[in-house]
Amino acid sequence: MGSETAKRLRVVVLGGGTAGWMTAAGIARLLPDLANVQLVESEDIGIVGVGEATLPHIRGFVERLGIDEAAFMKATHATYKLGIDFRDFGRIGESYIHPFGSFGEELRGVGFHHYWLELHRQGLARPLGEYSLAVAAAQANRFRPPSLDSSLGSTYGYAYQFDATLFGPFMREFGVSIGVERHEGVVTSVERDAETGDVRALCLRDGQRIEGDLFVDCSGFRSVLLGQELAVDWEDWIHWLPCDRAAAMPCTHATEDLRPYTTATAMPAGWRWQIPLQHRMGNGYVFSSAHLDEDAACEAIRTSAEGTPLAEPRILRFRPGRRAQSWSHNVIGVGLASGFLEPLESTSIYLAQMAITYLIELFPQDGTIDPRDRDEFNRMVDMEYDRVRDFLILHYHATTRDDSEFWNHVRTMTVPDSLADKLELWRKAGRIEKYSDGLFYDASWIAAYVGQGLLPERYDPRPALGDPAQLARAAERLHEAIAQEVAAMPDHRAFLLREAARIAEAA
Amino acid sequence: MIAPREPLRRIVVVGGGQLGVLAAIALRRALPVCQVVVVGQLPSPASFADWSPTALPFTNKLHDRLGVAEDAIVLRAGGSHRLVTRYLGWGGEGQAGVLAYGETLDPVLKTAFAREWGGGRPLPGGPRPAGSVAEVLADAGRFAPPPPDQQTPLSDIDYSLRWNAQAYRGLLIEHAQALGVDYVEGEIDRVEPGEGDTIRAIGLAGQGEIEADFFVDCSGPQARLLASHPQFAMVDWSASLPTRKVYLSGPGAPMAALEDRVSLLAEGWLVEIAGRDGLYRMLGTSEEVSRDAALQALGAPAAAVVALEPGRVAAPWLGNVVALGDATARFEPIGPWHLDLAHRQLHLLLEMLPGRQIEPLERAEYNRRSVLMMEGVHETLALHFASDRGRAVFGDRALPNRLGEVIDQCRRRGRIPFREEQPLVPQEQFALMAALGFKPGLPPVARSAYQHSEERAKEGFAARSTQALQFAPPYERWLASMLQPSRAPAG
Repeated sequence: MGSETAKRLRVVVLGGGTAGWMTAAGIARLLPDLANVQLVESEDIGIVGVGEATLPHIRGFVERLGIDEAAFMKATHATYKLGIDFRDFGRIGESYIHPFGSFGEELRGVGFHHYWLELHRQGLARPLGEYSLAVAAAQANRFRPPSLDSSLGSTYGYAYQFDATLFGPFMREFGVSIGVERHEGVVTSVERDAETGDVRALCLRDGQRIEGDLFVDCSGFRSVLLGQELAVDWEDWIHWLPCDRAAAMPCTHATEDLRPYTTATAMPAGWRWQIPLQHRMGNGYVFSSAHLDEDAACEAIRTSAEGTPLAEPRILRFRPGRRAQSWSHNVIGVGLASGFLEPLESTSIYLAQMAITYLIELFPQDGTIDPRDRDEFNRMVDMEYDRVRDFLILHYHATTRDDSEFWNHVRTMTVPDSLADKLELWRKAGRIEKYSDGLFYDASWIAAYVGQGLLPERYDPRPALGDPAQLARAAERLHEAIAQEVAAMPDHRAFLLREAARIAEAA
Repeated sequence: MIAPREPLRRIVVVGGGQLGVLAAIALRRALPVCQVVVVGQLPSPASFADWSPTALPFTNKLHDRLGVAEDAIVLRAGGSHRLVTRYLGWGGEGQAGVLAYGETLDPVLKTAFAREWGGGRPLPGGPRPAGSVAEVLADAGRFAPPPPDQQTPLSDIDYSLRWNAQAYRGLLIEHAQALGVDYVEGEIDRVEPGEGDTIRAIGLAGQGEIEADFFVDCSGPQARLLASHPQFAMVDWSASLPTRKVYLSGPGAPMAALEDRVSLLAEGWLVEIAGRDGLYRMLGTSEEVSRDAALQALGAPAAAVVALEPGRVAAPWLGNVVALGDATARFEPIGPWHLDLAHRQLHLLLEMLPGRQIEPLERAEYNRRSVLMMEGVHETLALHFASDRGRAVFGDRALPNRLGEVIDQCRRRGRIPFREEQPLVPQEQFALMAALGFKPGLPPVARSAYQHSEERAKEGFAARSTQALQFAPPYERWLASMLQPSRAPAG
């Protein structure tokens, strides 16, 4: 291999939170011959530890790094996740699950939801979720991994709900074990190249000087390198996504049931999460500080949380938006340093993982950064953020709620053109704008539209042409097949215990 | 109140070639309550989609859905199978490469390929390891289409069909008749406007007029209906696509090869499509090449010569007219892109089939995707002329859209940036680029310890190839057994 002679790039990761250790471990593991990885973190600076709930993509990341799923789940007290239960978003008292899975099956080239709309019109439809295996399993608190064939049992995916404060350290231990060099310290100044403006070194309070060729800014909202040092513009999205605070408070489990899903409940000035972990329930109120003060939010989470509090509520402050470029000069922002979208759809860790994946794909070769690679990186990161953004805005905008100033604002605000067109296409024809790159495809949009009470005025003509009784019978058969499949699944907690026992035995 | 849309009552398909007839079948099956009328004549040889003797694997899936049986194409329309297309001379004199279909190649092997090839080794007269099982089979002349419901060593092999265009069209007409599709032969002499920007009816010379809710223009490059629309506009592709003349041969001697060829000669490009009814040849040249030189390079008498002005329509759906195939895009037939594009557009139309009341946004969404499809083909074709020898023969051309970035990423990193609605999946795009002589670079992860998995992948590939070779009969023997009168089923 020719690469032994090539100089290894010195990569310096700033920040030891989830994004920092994921980045360091990823690069060290996948590019050992191209990079030396150092990470600077400080015990004096806390980590946000966002992203207790994840998306299915995290499995690919963990697997690609060669980490055993079971060891990882044990270390982070993880549970399985089949989707998110959204309550009171479209209207108080209504709820729906956005599953990691599909609804029914396309028939003669027409999407299932058109058939569902026809059944609904005739008063013959069950709630849409009852035609989704992932939803039905979630509601029954049951779980097993999907089958690998193309049967009904394969029509869903899963993710994890884990303790984010344990995930960072788990990745740290892994990263250090594969050669990431860790430095403890606080950055006091940044050395730049006078000519190019590139970052050359980080100077720490204790006098250490960490030189590097490539710097990954994982310093969270402070965005020490990308935001402060390079002053890359920030595109602010608070007019679309007004939530800018969270009050987080862990609790004990209030019941025996362990939900294989996350719950998001709309509140007067935002929404509240419940994330079941093995040992506790994560709770938090994501709110708009323009509509609610911090003390009132803490009080609200104390009153609404179901188990016994394990700590006082902790306030997190954030701002939705993203940097105009996530890669500028020789600095790449990963995680909150490059952008933030509130955790309504559990996208935080995904967005960090996505940036890491693209960075590895576009990693500088032969020791130099090619501007073409940087542009390509920025283009892809922007596309990912913008698509998630539109989907999040939909959850607020598609509502009939008028019970608070917050909901009045989001219901009546002007949405981005890209979303306005999607909404109009849905309203007029029941169709979804199609793309295959980025997050959230047809099933996700359909779940949110239908779940939040936004039914199209018109839908495909074809479902109404057949025999309605036959259509109703086919839908019932699907529902029954799903019920049978769910009945054969183990209880979520029982499955976790069984897995734990299997691991203990193997060890 | 929500409601299903009022279905179309009558659709007129203009153009009676193999595309128009298949579109009529598809629309009639999708909307049995709707009258479907095919109007017009057989498009001219300049309508490449209508005369193409072959397509890509996507068409097989469309056929399945529309009830057009592969067996029937083999038995009654001179059908045969292509596993690979061999590209000759694009990267330089004597250079060659192969495009097979699907995502079946192990990504690790793709890397191994880039390593062995991108490493600067000059291209061999000597043997190069095959890139896919399909290539191994094609080289050995062994294949039989795998039964759909059974796992065999050939199940992962994706293939394209070839046929005799006239016989295939005849087969489709039988299908259309059985489904109750109506046919009116005649020449359109006027287009009667309706409300807004719609067409109410078309007039046929000496036969009165036909009204419809919706018109599908499959009339070939003249775009008889779409071009009559006041908002009709073209986007010029001539800066990036250099072919101005296409010489078409009649069928030569029958040939049952599993591969077709796309060669670059000094005069231009030459496509050779094997077939049971004969070998078809097409030669494409720039304006400068003389007719005599072209005919000599074609190596067969020309049955037709087509002049090309490459470009696409700005919007393929205007008012209540949707155009498909050559009525939307004109370009050189270096491969079965015309019919593949037309069939993917038809599939999109089936997906987004409107009601009588057409919504502007659904038209916009359809046009967005159909334009992406056309531009995907545009990029694929432009790749040919961006190859080393392509530039030497045709001169430097502009690179459309993001193609410059794609070539750059592939050359430096072995990476194919994702773009929506491409005719080829990324792995096929990679194979095509390699076949055209672009030397793919190594992705960063492959510069590290990948060696091990590479060895394993190579062994796995060798084993799969051996199994496939042992399992597959000689293709000619399989064909002969299919065609035995005793087993030929009734249509």
